[in-house]
Amino acid sequence: MGVPTTPMVTRAFKELAILNVAKRGMPHLRITFTPHPVAAKTPEQLRAYIEGNDPISGKPMMKEIVDALTVPLSDDEKKTGIVRVSVGPEKYPPDTPKNLQQFYHDNGMTDFLPVIIPTEEEVAEMLKGTSHQPDELVGAMAGGAYPPWSYTVRQVAINAVMAGCKPEYFPVILAIASSGTPSLMSSTNSFAYAAVINGPIRDKLQMNYGIGALGPFAQPNAAIGRAWTLVSRNLANGGIPGDTYMGSQGNNLNYNNLIMAENEAASPWAPLHVQKGFKAQENVVSLFRGLGIVPGQGARGTSTDTPKYEEQFSDLFSVFTGFFGGLVVADPLIAANLKERGYDTKDKLIDWLYKNTTQSVKDYKSRDFAYGFDYPRALKGLEPYKTWYAMPDDAVIPRWPHRDDINVVVVGGQTNAFFQGGSLSYTVSVSIDKWA
Amino acid sequence: MNRRKMLSLLGLSPALLAGKSLDAQQSQTSAKPAKASVAQPKVEGLNPKGTPPPIQLIPMAPRLDSLDGKTVYLVDTGFEGGGMLLEQIRLWFTRNMPTVNAVFKRKAGPYMEDDPALWKEIKEKGNAAIMAIGH
Repeated sequence: MGVPTTPMVTRAFKELAILNVAKRGMPHLRITFTPHPVAAKTPEQLRAYIEGNDPISGKPMMKEIVDALTVPLSDDEKKTGIVRVSVGPEKYPPDTPKNLQQFYHDNGMTDFLPVIIPTEEEVAEMLKGTSHQPDELVGAMAGGAYPPWSYTVRQVAINAVMAGCKPEYFPVILAIASSGTPSLMSSTNSFAYAAVINGPIRDKLQMNYGIGALGPFAQPNAAIGRAWTLVSRNLANGGIPGDTYMGSQGNNLNYNNLIMAENEAASPWAPLHVQKGFKAQENVVSLFRGLGIVPGQGARGTSTDTPKYEEQFSDLFSVFTGFFGGLVVADPLIAANLKERGYDTKDKLIDWLYKNTTQSVKDYKSRDFAYGFDYPRALKGLEPYKTWYAMPDDAVIPRWPHRDDINVVVVGGQTNAFFQGGSLSYTVSVSIDKWA
Repeated sequence: MNRRKMLSLLGLSPALLAGKSLDAQQSQTSAKPAKASVAQPKVEGLNPKGTPPPIQLIPMAPRLDSLDGKTVYLVDTGFEGGGMLLEQIRLWFTRNMPTVNAVFKRKAGPYMEDDPALWKEIKEKGNAAIMAIGH
């Protein structure tokens, strides 16, 4: 910006702030810390904060701020140049598998469950799963609020080995990695991630899309999801609490994410990847990001003999923030019933959900995501936020800003007509075939 | 699913299908000699980390001689509480350094979006900035 500037950060983000400014090239930036939190405090409490001391340095806070803007710069603060960051040797000294296992854990390179030691032999075997060259650049991913790290096919393969993948799974991992989407996000929210896999590869890999499809009952479902987390951890430096991960409570889904192979044969509707513009015979992975997923049991109408599943979906989504999309994960029994009742495409169901899942403007404005994200967009004149913020409190508006915020996938083994609802936004679909 | 596989999944030995009693199977298992401990061979593990970008060091902007008579922008990034904290700072300047012209601004867009128009305004009209990142 070119004028003296000083940031104020609450003490809970000390490490994040110090590392962030360093990684962005200003390692000596003068930061003033405040007590935490500053949210939900009275003016009197906040006045006491600023008239008190910086809880990290112990110095009077306002004097520190004035000094930050007026004390002449040191030589270190004027430095220019390039700093290269090392991540250690290409391979580690020989040791027993047991000791290496612990080494990987101790250095934060795992999910703290046992991994397959990535030896040259194991990685060479994994590389047979793709026609791409080991040194080809796959993409870049930001693990946290930092500039992204880059990685090659070989670096992705090392992580796929560690996660327990077979070589035939590798194109799926490469497709996910090429998207640059981490499954570990730096937000104070504890985000969850999902991947929907479509196309013939589901059967080739023997993925489970039937009974227990979302559970730990099939190697490809488990290992592909785990690889995404290790890729995010190691290739993007994500998932370091206090540095690149700030989720206050964490999310159990981060172990191996929600990996869903759509039950295309049992679904009466076009599969997700066809909706996104791919051909049915193409193999595609579609990614989602949000807060998580919950079962639909307990939604209004679930005990009736003539269920109206669309109303149940809507009821379940009424407790979610509309900031993230709505993802319906329906058993094929439900999909068949909906088709019998006139919903012969997913689009018809999505239309109904968009029009009938609503909220009052007052409720909408009271949500934290609305304040932090949508209100600034309204101020910039972006729709529908500008219109929504201009409406009276008792006006009724859709739950989601756009119809496309809703997606439907069919997953399950038809033992009962159950569904799950995800507070999950679609982000991107990537060709798996490109990485075969 | 065949019966042998089903029995295995139920935790029962498929040996039952061959007419052997469970007790006999268990005693056969326990009669096996313990394996002699063998030293694990050493292997080389590969580094799973990606490639971080180089860091371009950015020199800080020259500091002011003092804040007297200067315009200081108070920038709220949009996190909860940041705006209220900055209001207290504005009031502090009014009470303690009244010659400072403290100007409050909320950065446009959500917190992660850049606001080049505001940075331009600060550079043209301001002398310094304090940015509050709430929560």
